[in-house]
Amino acid sequence: MRWATRRGCHVDRTACVWLIRRFVDPEAEFFFVEDQSEAPKDAELFDVAGARLSHHGDACSFETFLVEYELGDPVLQEIAEIVHDADLMDEKYDRPESEGLDSIVRGMQLTLPDDMALTYHTDALYNGLYTHLSREVL
Amino acid sequence: MDTTGVGDAGANAAKARWLILIYHLPREPSRHRVAVWRKLKSLGALYLQNGAAALPEDAVSREQLEWLQHRIREADGEATLWEALPNTVAEGRSLVEEFRASRETSYKKLAESAGRLRRKAALGSSKSLLLEELRKLEREFRAERRRDYFRSPLRNEVAAALRELRQVLKEGTEAGQSRNSIGGK
Repeated sequence: MRWATRRGCHVDRTACVWLIRRFVDPEAEFFFVEDQSEAPKDAELFDVAGARLSHHGDACSFETFLVEYELGDPVLQEIAEIVHDADLMDEKYDRPESEGLDSIVRGMQLTLPDDMALTYHTDALYNGLYTHLSREVL
Repeated sequence: MDTTGVGDAGANAAKARWLILIYHLPREPSRHRVAVWRKLKSLGALYLQNGAAALPEDAVSREQLEWLQHRIREADGEATLWEALPNTVAEGRSLVEEFRASRETSYKKLAESAGRLRRKAALGSSKSLLLEELRKLEREFRAERRRDYFRSPLRNEVAAALRELRQVLKEGTEAGQSRNSIGGK
């Protein structure tokens, strides 16, 4: 399936890409666009204002994905808290990981050529976070 | 350590681009106005006037303001987001100074709270309670630092005060522990 989001991914979108690839659609094909009109017609938009899979009320897009796809994995819930704090910067869950994640992804954004390369690398980051938290949660 | 602090305000200000959110929300219900005001405050934005708030341009503030714009529209308000350059270097510089000054008050409060905790520690208050309060201060400091876009001069002072306080409390705790239970850890 095709998925499209805005260019210049930060924590929320890189985490969504990882979530899609690992838990929603292993065959996912991604498009990073400047404007949503550039997205392929059949692509599912995410983290784009007004889309189904986007910010809703107080929730960031990653949190919306967990609700929409009924992903009840407690480790994903924890990652959602970390992503929420890094994305909305409101200290809702007070997760110490958020600050580090925010700095690392901001830096990677500057060093890597595009969102394709960025999300390739951040996949490893979220896989690591998932494994690490699994040992604590389960 | 940060040595780039105060001196180069002019050079940075002349180059700084700004994002300006111009918005209008219906008077009622007031919760939307309050929520937007709170969010802008937590981002450290500066109101140029009623309904016009500025932030230094970068990917993160852009992202935050875009979502805020979306939220305002959802609440039946109007919002446009602009990228701007001050017309003169002086204008840019005074905006930077205003941003710095807006952080000073909070930094001063943090420094005072740190001083108070230190006096409490000297008087022998419960270390675990003081550590809890210190953690709160450190959290506030991180939030403050995040919206301190132009390194207010007080930032380093507060960082040092908190670091020293932590040191004092840690030494106190360890001394207390080793008296009671050796090798607890």
